[in-house]
Amino acid sequence: MSDRGESSQLRSAALIDPKALMGIRNLELRARVVVQGFWNGLHRSPNHGFSVEFTEYRQYTPGDDPRYLDWRVYARSDRSFVKKFEDETNLRCYLLFDQSRSMAYGSAGYSKGQYAATLAATLAYFLHIQGDAVGLLSFDEAVREYLPARHRPGQLRQLMLALEKPAGGRSTDLAEPIGRLAALVRKRGLVAYVSDFLAPLDRLEAGLLTLTACGHEVTVFQVLDPAELSLPFEQATQFEDAETARRIYVDPVAARRDYVPKFETHCAAVRAICQKLGIGHHRVSTAQPLELALFEFLQERLRRGRRSPARRRA
Amino acid sequence: MSFLAPLFLLGTLALAAPIVFHLIRRTTRERKVFSSVMFLLPSPPSLTQRSRLQHLLLLCLRCLALGLLALGFARPFWRSAAPSGGSDAQTRRVVVLVDVSASLRRTGLWDQAKARVDSVLGTLGPGDEASVLLCSRQVTPLLSFEEWKACPPAERLPLARGRLAATAPGWEDDRLGDALISAAETLAETDAQKKSPGPRQIYLVSDLKAGSRLDSLQAYDWPKNLELHLEPLRAQNPTNAGVQLVAESPDADRLATPSVRVRVSNAADSIREQFRVAWTRPQGGDLGPAVDVYVPPGQSRVVAVPVPARAADLRQITLRGDDEDFDNTAYVVPAEQQHWSILYFGGEALDDAGSPLYFLERAVPNNPHLAVTILTRAAAVGATPAELEEAKLIVVTNPALAPPIAADLRRQMLAGKTILFAPRSAESASTLGRLLGIAAPTLTDLRAADYAMFGDIDFRHPLFAPFADPHYSDFTKIHIWNYRRLQLDALPGARALARFDSGDPALVEVGVGSGRLLVLLTGWNPEDSQLAVSSKFVPLLDSLLEYAGGPADEPSQYFVGDPLPLHPAGGAPSRVVAPDGTATQLPAEAASFAGARTPGIYLLENGPRHWRVAVNVAASESRTEPLAPDQLERYGAPGAASPPDPARAAERRALLAGADAESRQKLWRWLLGAALAVLLLESALAGWTTRRNEATVAAEGTHS
Repeated sequence: MSDRGESSQLRSAALIDPKALMGIRNLELRARVVVQGFWNGLHRSPNHGFSVEFTEYRQYTPGDDPRYLDWRVYARSDRSFVKKFEDETNLRCYLLFDQSRSMAYGSAGYSKGQYAATLAATLAYFLHIQGDAVGLLSFDEAVREYLPARHRPGQLRQLMLALEKPAGGRSTDLAEPIGRLAALVRKRGLVAYVSDFLAPLDRLEAGLLTLTACGHEVTVFQVLDPAELSLPFEQATQFEDAETARRIYVDPVAARRDYVPKFETHCAAVRAICQKLGIGHHRVSTAQPLELALFEFLQERLRRGRRSPARRRA
Repeated sequence: MSFLAPLFLLGTLALAAPIVFHLIRRTTRERKVFSSVMFLLPSPPSLTQRSRLQHLLLLCLRCLALGLLALGFARPFWRSAAPSGGSDAQTRRVVVLVDVSASLRRTGLWDQAKARVDSVLGTLGPGDEASVLLCSRQVTPLLSFEEWKACPPAERLPLARGRLAATAPGWEDDRLGDALISAAETLAETDAQKKSPGPRQIYLVSDLKAGSRLDSLQAYDWPKNLELHLEPLRAQNPTNAGVQLVAESPDADRLATPSVRVRVSNAADSIREQFRVAWTRPQGGDLGPAVDVYVPPGQSRVVAVPVPARAADLRQITLRGDDEDFDNTAYVVPAEQQHWSILYFGGEALDDAGSPLYFLERAVPNNPHLAVTILTRAAAVGATPAELEEAKLIVVTNPALAPPIAADLRRQMLAGKTILFAPRSAESASTLGRLLGIAAPTLTDLRAADYAMFGDIDFRHPLFAPFADPHYSDFTKIHIWNYRRLQLDALPGARALARFDSGDPALVEVGVGSGRLLVLLTGWNPEDSQLAVSSKFVPLLDSLLEYAGGPADEPSQYFVGDPLPLHPAGGAPSRVVAPDGTATQLPAEAASFAGARTPGIYLLENGPRHWRVAVNVAASESRTEPLAPDQLERYGAPGAASPPDPARAAERRALLAGADAESRQKLWRWLLGAALAVLLLESALAGWTTRRNEATVAAEGTHS
């Protein structure tokens, strides 16, 4: 099935209105509702091993582990070949979750933080029921909480509790949690970076580069409120920055002309960084059904799996 | 409706302020938390059409309050409500002050003055009142307010004109300051009888020369609403020099050629500088050589004019080379030496350097004005009645005066003579008793242990009055070795004019009849004291001579208008012969003659005595350059200005009427009260609106 076909199929299915979804108080329940229909998805482990499935032969080159030499082929053809296998292991997924105060903003009756938490919870739940290990690193201007990726009873519960903590902090540092995560997690895995990215981007690229360089597969979810995209207000008023508490008097009607291009430029910069590093970038509006975000994520993973099989081999 | 301060109506421009403020979108106190303001720019306050529609009632109230305030400050009044000004309220009262001092005698000035008076009186309406005053030293009414009002309007101007034509400038100097005060007070007196005085004006018709006396204006508080209009007269010939007699030089008697000193002054705007002065005859012709004088404009020079040797009748010195001759003659009465005598009863030898006579002889004045001779008589030898009569002062130092002589002297004292009795010893007590007609008082010789001094001196007494100045009042340097103690109680009516430092009387005055006896209780000879060799002796002797009798120094000249002292004596009537020969008889009690209205030599007669005095034009009349334009203003004269513009005067009258109406109506109070009420209403409305908005917001917040 083509991407478009799957998307239209999904769209034709009964999507859950985010507003209705956010009406569910329990985060885990929200995640469960969303994940219904997706739990058959299977991931391939980026780690190659020798346990499960043979994949190919390769000419032995000095430096290869001699344990993997296929002695039978050597005996038969007097050539040294190394056997390679595809190892279907559990995915280690880390959720990098922004809990800064800017995430507390919301114009649709729920905040970006709530939406993002549902998104993260959905991913966590989805991965959990697949048997993957899910961890969490939440942050604002510093790292707030760290849950190592595990797959065990209670992990999901702890993760949900951490995600439900209220937003805090006076600023957002986008690069600091990346560095911390890179330092903490030595094994490669999937990193889902959930944030609004409404902060200076000067160190973001270097941070993401660190993650990709460590072999992590990174996916960025940029969660934005529709009001942030278009500044739909009419009444001039004092706008207070949710993080810095800086106040400025703004007439939105007049300010919109400048605001929208600036905002789009910022988002384009985030997207450009992701594209440059080969990172999947998903701009998610809080008005958009969560299933779409999840679907896009899976689509992107499938696409990635098909396009670059070589990268999954050592 | 009219406005007293219409400029305040510009305050209505402030109405734009609330309108603009209502148009400006109010900076809200509400705030909206937004995820990030990093992409937002602060917006300037902007106009919004919607806010004009909001709070329209508040806007109207605010505009109304501002409008009422501006209207109130503009001081509105209803012109129609002003009382109709009666004829009395609009009556102009004018005093025309015409200068008739000597400087008006210059060519053409008097004709100008008459024309000016004519034009000023010509501007008056039938309801107006006027008075014409002539001013020189005194203010003389030429035409009073009563005469003006009593006269039919058509005949007023001819009456004033006729009286002015019969007048001419005199020879006196002016007192413009006094004249202005007098005119102002004349107006103030008439105002007191009116309920609402109209314009009051003084027109000063004068040449306004620099010599005008204005100093009395310094302390004068000018009445309000008084206008002073100047009608300055301009002379055809700017050059005017004057000649004035000045005091004789102190060393005049030492000069080889006797001369009289005169000052030649030249006005600041003169165009001539070279003049000549000479003794002249009244009928013309010089009596001696003329003296050339160079006087730059605005300056003066003192020159000595030699007295001609064989001139019989020296009367006047005349200045030549000047355009105006009213002040070119100085009348002079040459000084005549008087001869006085002092009768001295002492019996000392004239060459006895230790005797009082020796010092008295050398101290008495002897100058061109006065020659004093001392007639010495021994104690036993009396003086002839003529000598006694002639003597101005009788000095007695002899301890034992013969009783007949003492009796003679007492009679002289009773008749008014002054006797100085300076006993040289206590033995003179009997003489003192005889002179006073009492028993001999107790007189004690005392010798000071070290020295005595003059202590308490009565400087208010005429004898010591010349020493009253602290520069000269120090008598402590005169040391006294011997003096006599006199019991003052023993002498009836005695008064100590000076005392020694011991408290004993030093100089005692006892009145005897119409004369007096002065008892000096120490001698001035060196044996008794240092008095004769002190600097006080000669002035004290002069003072004593003046006190003893005879007129004091007469001034060498008088000015026109000054009273001439007559010195009546013996109950004889006085007679004054003016320079033109007219004689005036004055009663015996007349102390002075006030009718010296022309310059010249006046002959004064009192009994057998007759003397001449010179009366000249005052020097201030010669300073004919124009007065500084702001001089009168500096003295606080109200609106010292040129003739008024009728349009401006009408405008001023209208303004005054408006101010009067406004002060009665006081509409501004009502307007300010209304503004206050509107502001209160506005505050209440604004408060109610705010509360309602807050309640709405709160309700919305609860609902959401």
